Amino acid sequence: MGQQILLMEKIDKRFTGVHALNQVDFDLNEGEIHALVGENGAGKSTLMKVLVGINSKDSGEIHYLGRLFNPRNPRHAMEMGIGIIHQELNMMDHLTVAQNIFIGRESTRMNGMLLDKREQNRRTAELFKRLKMNIDPTEQLSRLTVGKQQMVEIAKAVSHRLRVLILDEPTAALTESEIKELFVIMRDLASRGVGMIHISHRLEEIHQIADRVTVLRDGELVGTKNTSEVTKAQIINMMVGRVIYEKPKAKSNVLADAPVVLRVQNLNAGRLVRNISFELRKGEILGFSGLVGAGRTETARAIFGADEIQSGTIEIGGRRVTIRSPEDAVAHGLGYLSEDRKRYGLAVNLSVKDNLVMATYDLFVRGLFVHAGKIRKVSEEYADRLSIKTPSLEQLLRNLSGGNQQKVVIAKWLIRNCDILVFDEPTRGIDVGAKSEIYTLMNELVREGKSIIMISSELPEILRMSDRIIVMCEGRITGELAIEDASQEAIMEYATMGHQEVLAGS
Amino acid sequence: MADATIEISRMQRFKQQGLKYMLAPAALLILYVLFGILGRDYFSYPTFVNIIDAAFYIGFISMGVTFVIISGGIDLSVGTVMMAATLIGGTAMKHGLPMVPTLLLIIVVGLLFGLFNGLLVSRLKMPPFIVTLGTMMISMGVGSIVSNVQSATFPIRSAPGGWFKSIFLYLSPNGVNIPTGAFLLVAIAVICHLMLSNTKLGRYTYAIGSNKEAARLSGVDVKKWELLVYVIAGGTAGIGGISYAAIYTTILPAQGQGFELYAIAAAVIGGTSLAGGVGTIWGTMIGVFIMSVLATGLPAMGLQAHWQTFFTGVIVIGAVLLDMYRNKKASEVRIVTPADTYRTSMMDKIALIKHEASVHKSAGRSSEAAALQKQIVEARVEMKATYARMKAEEKADEARVRAEEKAADRDFAEMLRARELEQESSAK
Repeated sequence: MGQQILLMEKIDKRFTGVHALNQVDFDLNEGEIHALVGENGAGKSTLMKVLVGINSKDSGEIHYLGRLFNPRNPRHAMEMGIGIIHQELNMMDHLTVAQNIFIGRESTRMNGMLLDKREQNRRTAELFKRLKMNIDPTEQLSRLTVGKQQMVEIAKAVSHRLRVLILDEPTAALTESEIKELFVIMRDLASRGVGMIHISHRLEEIHQIADRVTVLRDGELVGTKNTSEVTKAQIINMMVGRVIYEKPKAKSNVLADAPVVLRVQNLNAGRLVRNISFELRKGEILGFSGLVGAGRTETARAIFGADEIQSGTIEIGGRRVTIRSPEDAVAHGLGYLSEDRKRYGLAVNLSVKDNLVMATYDLFVRGLFVHAGKIRKVSEEYADRLSIKTPSLEQLLRNLSGGNQQKVVIAKWLIRNCDILVFDEPTRGIDVGAKSEIYTLMNELVREGKSIIMISSELPEILRMSDRIIVMCEGRITGELAIEDASQEAIMEYATMGHQEVLAGS
Repeated sequence: MADATIEISRMQRFKQQGLKYMLAPAALLILYVLFGILGRDYFSYPTFVNIIDAAFYIGFISMGVTFVIISGGIDLSVGTVMMAATLIGGTAMKHGLPMVPTLLLIIVVGLLFGLFNGLLVSRLKMPPFIVTLGTMMISMGVGSIVSNVQSATFPIRSAPGGWFKSIFLYLSPNGVNIPTGAFLLVAIAVICHLMLSNTKLGRYTYAIGSNKEAARLSGVDVKKWELLVYVIAGGTAGIGGISYAAIYTTILPAQGQGFELYAIAAAVIGGTSLAGGVGTIWGTMIGVFIMSVLATGLPAMGLQAHWQTFFTGVIVIGAVLLDMYRNKKASEVRIVTPADTYRTSMMDKIALIKHEASVHKSAGRSSEAAALQKQIVEARVEMKATYARMKAEEKADEARVRAEEKAADRDFAEMLRARELEQESSAK
């Protein structure tokens, strides 16, 4: 292995309310593939964003090729030889492969007056030949498979004479054979001296491809190991072995004879909802755990009628129901709190009051007109009950903090008096104080006889709140745990099952 | 002292918020007064009636368009739908249809075109721009086909059925024009305003325009309300058509193109956002009257009609620019430098002295007040000088850091190149 090309020392980064990176060290050698793992929110992405200048660091030093390096933005980092390939590909579907690779630095003729397509295609073909990729430079990008598109992106990055290449979950959308192909290319690049940082949730990949592995947890460095010296179980242990401040729930609070309020059977909807079956009982908090992209949100959206379902049945209160739209779902007593509040949950340019009653105008209509006085009274009542901090109910929602915005969304569904609530990442981007308020509220709700499905990527949150836990991976349910048997390690084991294991298991 | 701070913050809030609502009406008033001073006979009753007359048909269609724009859509067809409906009504009347059914027919035709737009947008999820562009051409064609490219003439005042003109302009026996249509315009505006602010339809229109997906996920039947919004636009186009027939009597085929743009312009001048979710009927009405004051005022100044188009364009762009500038300022995250901190603290100090001075003044101690006044002036001068100096220093500092970074980059790039050459030569 070559000499060290990158050294990040004591990197520190705080966002409001979150210590995203706490004195993290990281290094990379020439020609090395270094895996970076950790749970969602462990700080992997933030560390990489600091490295390419998307986020600025609060303190710490980056040494690159033996010199102090301060990336200002991704473009600057790229010019200096550090490139990143994001999980979502950033390319133009309607252009050809060659056009995508040379966008912004096209080959030209006649002093830049005309584009030189032929020269550009020739250079692209040469690049592919060097990288042993079998892609036609003149093909339109949208006609390639996702795997091939990713290779184009890698080729694009390499064409910038990269020394460090960051791959953020490159295998998430690929098939087994595409992954194999990708790994061949990665090894080839490594043999040319390019250092690679490989971010992945699939732990079995680490032993296949990486030389070393670094584990982050809650913004702190847990350790860096040679992959030949650690087992998958040890890595999981490093990922989740945190000190838990909040005690997990000791036992389920659901009564033994509590009736089933929601029964989902063989639900299929797209790639990430495959044969989902489960039951939710009255007064239960059912935790849905898994890694990002496991299909939990997609499952919730399918049940709620937000996305079309291909097959499967849903029973509410023992009766089979047809849900074709969110409107149907709401009519059947379902409420859905989206993980992405700003996009799916709120109208940030409307007032707090308007948002509170968005799902319930029906209840406030008197004759032709809405009953403004009643709306005001109910809004005040719920703003008070959930202690929503706002100068007035007329305040535009965008001026409220994340925690208070989330309370508005919760209140919206409480006013509707839904029996079944789906909380999708209810505490994302929320400070600690508001978090515990939301937990208290959820416990109150189930005591009142409501039932909750909680989707969460934070294991302590899942363990603290759930009566029962369902773990998903790649669109399937890979495990179900009673709270008494649940542990972070057990959940992680189910959540990181690779594609083949899922198939073998089912 | 607490009172003083409240007073100050209230003033600031007014500056930030109140101004937004006052700006368009103020512009209208200023224009009116300006033309009154510069134009001939502008402050007269006949001119006033003319202003209102000119506002009618754009006024009606712009209300419907405001609904559509607030819902996040656009309706380009209102102008031609209005004229097609009127032309069809007029043609039917030519064939013997009495007045009342004719007027109803005009409104129904408007509603039907609105329904057509609404169905395509809400059910088939077609882009509103494309749908209404198509309807604009279709309605113009339909008008011409039905009328056989003949103009339609509505009865004059003295003829049977001519009474309908009095809905919009009442000619009293002693020869005074009373713009009765203004009452209708205001009445419809009030109804539209109530619909927007006090009915489910209105509240959902804002919700859908502000965040369609969030509204859908809240269980709102987005399809239904989106459809209704276009139907309303069709309905107001019908009413607009009747007012047009009443004022101008003769309807030519293939008219109406361009009216929709004035209607949209009126909404935009009045503060409706084309991004959806923001807007009021009152704002739109102000926009309509600004345009109609221009239309009547410029000729009074001896400028020809095409100047109206020119100035309307200037006002549309100006209004939106101003709005964007204000929104940007409101959402700007400012990095507070020491210079800014210094200025705010000085301004607070001055405000305090000011308050003290006013206390002295009201207590009749004028000499103390004058002394304090002098202090304020001195503090202001000092603040300005120090702030300018601090700002200049900060700027210079920034420039220096940037230059240093650039030099380091150049250095670094050179080193990279040297390494590459080295590697290549060693590879050989």
